[in-house]
Parts: sequence; structure tokens; C-alpha cells
Amino acid sequence: MKKDSAIELDTKLVESAKNGDKVALSELVTKYSPKIYNLGMRIMRNQEDAEDVLQETFLKMINKIKTFRGDSAFYTWLYRIGTNVALGKIREKKHIDNFVSVDGPDFENIKGAGLSHWPDHLDDQIEKDFFRECLKKAMDDLPDHYRAVFVLRDLENLSTREAASILNISEANVKVRLMRARLFLRDQLAHHLRCIEVIA
Amino acid sequence: MNKRHKEELADLVKAQLGEDMDADFIDEVAKHLEECPDCKICYDSVRQTVKLYRVSESETGVPDQVSERLFKVLSLKTH
Repeated sequence: MKKDSAIELDTKLVESAKNGDKVALSELVTKYSPKIYNLGMRIMRNQEDAEDVLQETFLKMINKIKTFRGDSAFYTWLYRIGTNVALGKIREKKHIDNFVSVDGPDFENIKGAGLSHWPDHLDDQIEKDFFRECLKKAMDDLPDHYRAVFVLRDLENLSTREAASILNISEANVKVRLMRARLFLRDQLAHHLRCIEVIA
Repeated sequence: MNKRHKEELADLVKAQLGEDMDADFIDEVAKHLEECPDCKICYDSVRQTVKLYRVSESETGVPDQVSERLFKVLSLKTH
């Protein structure tokens, strides 16, 4: 389905849902629950929290749908709710764990110093457990507000403008965070892959 | 640089610098990468990093039980 006709269909479903049509509401939940569940998995990094994000996002969607004015696409509006729920849960967890990150990554020093050639077709190894573990570890270590940008831009394929609107930051900030996220993941991955001698 | 690699380059450059980057600018970057081994290594590693995550974090469906619990919490019927 083309993007325009998908937006048009959403608009019809949203209008019906606003008027109390539960079938339309169910259709919206069915259509977007995989997207929100994956968003939750990618930001929260575990199934239990992803399920919480899924449920809270749609509860909020139902409570707020009458306030949706159509200034942005419905999915952008829903992603904003989902991303805020996920980031809020992370903040909550850090508070509960009494964890305050004082020494975040030093992004000034992420310049790829000593970077060597990466062999082609590294993705051939992706099914190997140790390789997946390297990828997971690097992503887990990426600070939340950088991970959110990486997820929205590089995994969810949203535009810079959409990501900026969802995160309520400037487009310039999205670009900076995306660059830092990519370089952080690249450097962490290089470190892990060097340890297991996948790269020199 | 083949067509697929050029598309990947355009994808990364546009994400980084803005969707309004034109084809001439992408050509300039591609040309520079062919002449500068350091930039090429840096670019290739970032390109592969993004690609690896797109594969490893590819979308999964909502598990049936999770979906059932969701509709129950929302007091909605599946259709």
C-alpha cells in the first residue's frame, strides 16, 4: 500500500474511532501493534518491558485519540506516544535502581582511531550466537537518547523531521545524535569483534 | 562503486546531512571515498554497522499471548 493511501485509510479509521467505533479502534491496534511492539523491543531491550510499552501506548492512544488533530500522520503521533512511554519507563527504572549515569560515553573521542578494514559479508556471521551477543552488547551500552534516534532513523526508517517531531528535539540534534550513535555502535562493535578475532 | 553501494551511500549521507542532499553531492562523496582510503574504511565500517543492525533487529510479529493480553487490557475484540 502506498504511503498516501495508508495515511488516508488511517484518517478514516481514526475518525470512526473518535466517534466510538470499537471495530475501527481494533483495526488500528491490529495494524500498529507489531510496529509498537518492535519499537518497544528495540528501545527497552527485553520482551517484558516491550509488552508494557505496547499496552501503555495503546491505552494512551485510546484515551487521547479525540485530541488527535491530524497535524502529523497518525503513525507519527502514535510513535511519539510509544517512544515517550519507553523513554519514561527507562527513566523510571533508573530512578528505582538509584542509577545515575555520571560517566556517559565520551563522544568527543569517538573518531575511529586505529580503525582497520572490516571484511565484506560480516552479515554472513549474524546467526552465530557470539556475533549476535556482540551486537546486543554494543546496542545495550548505547545511551537511551542516542538509541532512540538510531532506532527511529536507521531501524524504523523515519525521516529526520519525523524523528525530531517524535522526540521533540531539533532536526540538527537528530543528525548529531544519529552520527554519534552510529560511531558509538561501530566502535563498540569493532572492539568486541576484535576481541573474538573477527576483525584485525 | 556499483549501483547498490551508491544507494547505500546516498542513504547514509542523506540521513546524516539531510534528505535534501542532491545527486551531485552524493557523486562528490563517492568520488572522494574512492580516492581516500581512510575515509573509505570509516564509511565502510559505519555502513556495515547499520546493515548488521537492520538484519539483527529486523521486525518480529507480536507473540500470540502478548496480543491476547493487549486486547484484553484494552477491552477490545480481535477481528
